Amino acid sequence: MSGGAALVVLLLATSLVTAAVTFVLPEHREAVRNAVNVGGALLKVLLTSLLVFGVFTGAEFEWRVAFLPGADLVLRADPIPLLFVFLSALLWLTTTVYAIGYRAGDGRSSRFFGFFGLCASMAVGIALAGNLVTFLIFYELLTVATYPLVVHGGGQRARLGGRTYVAYATAGGAALLFGTAWLQHLVGSTEFGDPATVTAVATEQPLAMTAVFLVLITGLAVKAVLVPLHGWLPKAMVAPAPVSALLHAVAVVKAGVYGIVRVVHDLYGMALVDELGALTPLAVVATVTIVYGSLRALTRDDLKGRLAYSTVSQLSYIVLGVSVFGLTSTTGGLVHLVHQGIMKVTLFYGAGILDRQLGVTRASQMDGVGRRLPLTMAAFTVAALGMIGFPPTVGFVSKYYLGMGAVEAGQPWVVAVLAISGALNASYFLPLIARAWFRPAGEPADAEVVAEEGDNRVGMTTATSDDAVPPGPAPTRGRWETDRWLLLPTLSTGASVLALGVLAGAPGSPLTWAAFIAEELMQP
Amino acid sequence: MSALWWLSPVLLPLLAAGVALVSGRARAWLPAVAPLPALLLAVTGPPGEPPELSWLLIGLELDLDGIGRPLLLMSALVWAAAGAAARRLCATDRGFAALFLVTMAGNLGVLIAGDLITLYASFAVMTYAAYGLVVHERSPFAVRAGRVYMVLAVLGEVALLAGVMLTVGIADSTAFEDIAGALAVTDGGRAIGGLLVVGFGIKAGLVPLHLWLPLAHPAAPVAASAVLSAAMIKAGLLGWLRLLPLQEAWSGWGQTLLVLGLTGALLGIVVGLTQRDPKVLLAYSSISQMGLLITLVGVGLAASDASGPTGLAAAGYAVHHGLAKAALFLGVGVYTSGALAAAHRMYLGATALVGLSLAAAPLTGGWVAKQTLKGTVETLYVGPGLAGLSVALTATGAGTTLLIGRLLRLLREPPELPEGRPKPVRVATGSGEEPTPADGDTPAFLGTPRLLPRLAERPLVGSWSLLTAAALVGGWGLHRFGGDAIATPEIEVASLWDGLWPVSLGLLLLAGVAWRRHHFGLDPPPGRGEIPAGDVLLLVVAAGHRLRVMARRVEPVAARTFETLRDTREVAEHRIRPGPGLDRVEELITRWRSAGILLALVGAALIVALALGR
Repeated sequence: MSGGAALVVLLLATSLVTAAVTFVLPEHREAVRNAVNVGGALLKVLLTSLLVFGVFTGAEFEWRVAFLPGADLVLRADPIPLLFVFLSALLWLTTTVYAIGYRAGDGRSSRFFGFFGLCASMAVGIALAGNLVTFLIFYELLTVATYPLVVHGGGQRARLGGRTYVAYATAGGAALLFGTAWLQHLVGSTEFGDPATVTAVATEQPLAMTAVFLVLITGLAVKAVLVPLHGWLPKAMVAPAPVSALLHAVAVVKAGVYGIVRVVHDLYGMALVDELGALTPLAVVATVTIVYGSLRALTRDDLKGRLAYSTVSQLSYIVLGVSVFGLTSTTGGLVHLVHQGIMKVTLFYGAGILDRQLGVTRASQMDGVGRRLPLTMAAFTVAALGMIGFPPTVGFVSKYYLGMGAVEAGQPWVVAVLAISGALNASYFLPLIARAWFRPAGEPADAEVVAEEGDNRVGMTTATSDDAVPPGPAPTRGRWETDRWLLLPTLSTGASVLALGVLAGAPGSPLTWAAFIAEELMQP
Repeated sequence: MSALWWLSPVLLPLLAAGVALVSGRARAWLPAVAPLPALLLAVTGPPGEPPELSWLLIGLELDLDGIGRPLLLMSALVWAAAGAAARRLCATDRGFAALFLVTMAGNLGVLIAGDLITLYASFAVMTYAAYGLVVHERSPFAVRAGRVYMVLAVLGEVALLAGVMLTVGIADSTAFEDIAGALAVTDGGRAIGGLLVVGFGIKAGLVPLHLWLPLAHPAAPVAASAVLSAAMIKAGLLGWLRLLPLQEAWSGWGQTLLVLGLTGALLGIVVGLTQRDPKVLLAYSSISQMGLLITLVGVGLAASDASGPTGLAAAGYAVHHGLAKAALFLGVGVYTSGALAAAHRMYLGATALVGLSLAAAPLTGGWVAKQTLKGTVETLYVGPGLAGLSVALTATGAGTTLLIGRLLRLLREPPELPEGRPKPVRVATGSGEEPTPADGDTPAFLGTPRLLPRLAERPLVGSWSLLTAAALVGGWGLHRFGGDAIATPEIEVASLWDGLWPVSLGLLLLAGVAWRRHHFGLDPPPGRGEIPAGDVLLLVVAAGHRLRVMARRVEPVAARTFETLRDTREVAEHRIRPGPGLDRVEELITRWRSAGILLALVGAALIVALALGR
């Protein structure tokens, strides 16, 4: 095995080994478990940096074994995967730290962190997959690995939420499997990064290839929460905050969007998809999702539900960037892959701290929390402003590139969509910020607002009225406003929301990286 | 080094904001000191070529030209004075201090921005951070003002962002000249220009988008009112001057702005005259003054090849108005604090002088600014009725004189002293300055304690005096930064008469009113004849209410639609309730069935595949 292949496999193995060790650790060995998990995450960041450095100096990183006739198992570090792997490695580190502070395990920590590590591995597999078959395998494994995390809290609501999740994910997976098989049958290979072969087949059989594309996208759309296949996400909100953070930022939903990006850019090639006439329908679906998600978020009082619908909306920015033809908008879509992850993870960290420290789970309870948790709320505020697209945060950078790209591509209607969604985002995030900072701290949870009809629906709220495991004691405060393990990740991701926006033009920023990738993709 | 110097107007306030959050001692004086580098930069002029900062934002460019420089000078001065006046407030409230400084950074950033993205980013930072200044008092009035402010601010930001994307898209550049050029020649340029007119117009108090202004400006503490009404209001104007194609003839938007500007100039006076809160009155005066500036921009936009003179004349007028308005707002603060109660006549005299300058009485700074503005309008105006327009512009001076007369009447009684009688005026919003009862503050050797303000009020009184002086003389020469593109008005009979007659007319009217009052005692009872702040806002709210009532009557179906609308509105007012219509849709598509349907679709696709297969 060459050095390049070894690095790729090692990257996959880091989290896997971490998970294996964690599973066998007895529950009370907290220090060891924490050390192993943080150490594993750190090692992964290190390896990823090596990988990035290697790729930019021109090295090749590929690992390939024969798997099925005509379909190898391939892991390869191409530019787009690098972007995603780097993001997921970094956010995995912060989320691991956060999960330790959150005591997400609740007496079942070995199980929790074990599956946590497994997910990390699967995400790397998804990111580095060199063909659709490999992608599919890891994609399905991710479903299996995340299920225990979604239902971790236990109780009826969690189980029902988990069941919904699995039902959706399996159906989507089935569609993806079918599409992959069909493509393999038509083209004879499903390698990423080889649009020429696919294009050749597509000129012969445009109808079949369009159908394959639609099936693939439909399968991926389940995890990418495109309307109307988004129903599972708000129900999966029963998961503990670190899991939600991860689900929304790098793992499950991101995997779906990432899959769409790869299918459009690396499998079919943008030019072909455009030729098949599938870009515009995709753009329309993305538009509907953006507006619909924002509208739904507006009506949710429970914080995590609001954030969940915001994810529905934000992810489609990426899809929109993918589905508008052109260099600038591709850059915008790719860079939002990173930006959305950082912003959303920060928001969930903040929501988790609010829940853990103050028991605040609803927007209407947020009056004056800025005084009690100033640093947390500062990070939350920055991330929320980013979601609105406020300069100079990263959200603005994404939005700007998406809008510009649309104008360049002769589709100025996209700008109207961005404007509407910006106004909607503002109207569900700004009240939170205004409450937190400019209202006197009031008696939380007034009775009228609690009588929300979502309460009697399954798995929608974070209330713990059923037989779920009761949350542990509020974290110790120490010198800081909350546990340091909770605060540090929140502050670092919050700061990067601002820093990466201010330094968007600097070399090495996600923007320059995305622009570089987009340029490579656009070369005929 | 030069780059740091260039960036200091933005960088220093931001740094200061960070420091203000952690250090209690620095907090008190930082807001006064932070704008000083900007002031110095404006005085000394650009230090060499602007730096290349492509790694900041999406390529940051800076510029300091004949329009930006006088505005920077005025704004920095106003911010410094307001910062000094807000000393005690900042010392006690770190949130206010930090937001004050961030708003300052945004405002000064707008003035030195050399490309569209930097301009937009600074503008947005300024707009959102200023929310904290508006709602600072937390009174019901301030909270309502904050809500209206935010709704309009978000609307403006959305229009601007869309405008920014579209302009950069068609111009393929973020440089101002390219954008103005591309707007002029592109088909959809006028529509995009409309987005910019609205986006910046909200900040500039363009009628009918001004409805937030008479609420928000007075709601803030006086120091913040001063910067809102003097400095920040000019940011919208600058946005127009930078981006609208003044070199081309855009008669459609030009005439619209001309009409709206004149309307604003008149509306500000008429509604302002009915006010009882001096700060609301001053806010309406700002709408009136901005109306004149908007008229100028409209005329420039309708004319071809007008970018130079329009910009310079506008900058000159904006500088004077900024200084005068800041002085007047701080003057209200001085009044409520009771600092100059012992020298009330002197205080009223100084206020009257600033007021006269604002009304463009001959030989004041305001006269210079107004003569320049009027001269430019007369040169550039294309179309009928120039004489009428000219007279209308001049006649606003009479209106302003009336406004100032009304202001002086509201302030005529010496203010409440610490143990004095109840306040004669209703200052609904307060000033944020708590009068201290310490009377022995002033050491005896400093002079008669009765004339010198108490120690704690000295920064406020000092900055008020500074701005008063600056407003009176500042018009002379400040607008000349741009070189000789426009001339200072000659001191001759015609121009002096032009300044004299409106003021005399105003004074005559005031005398008439005073005579009437004296003889018949016809002061309207409190609350009568007062148009509530926000004027048009009431119509909007009433219309919304009326619509809802009507909708409920019409038909159940229509009523349900409006139910959803009402819910959306309530969400905007923080009373969140789920919209029933949307919920039903959601329920429909998120049932388990969706997953089943998906599987069925896969099956169907399988059949299609078999049919198509080779």
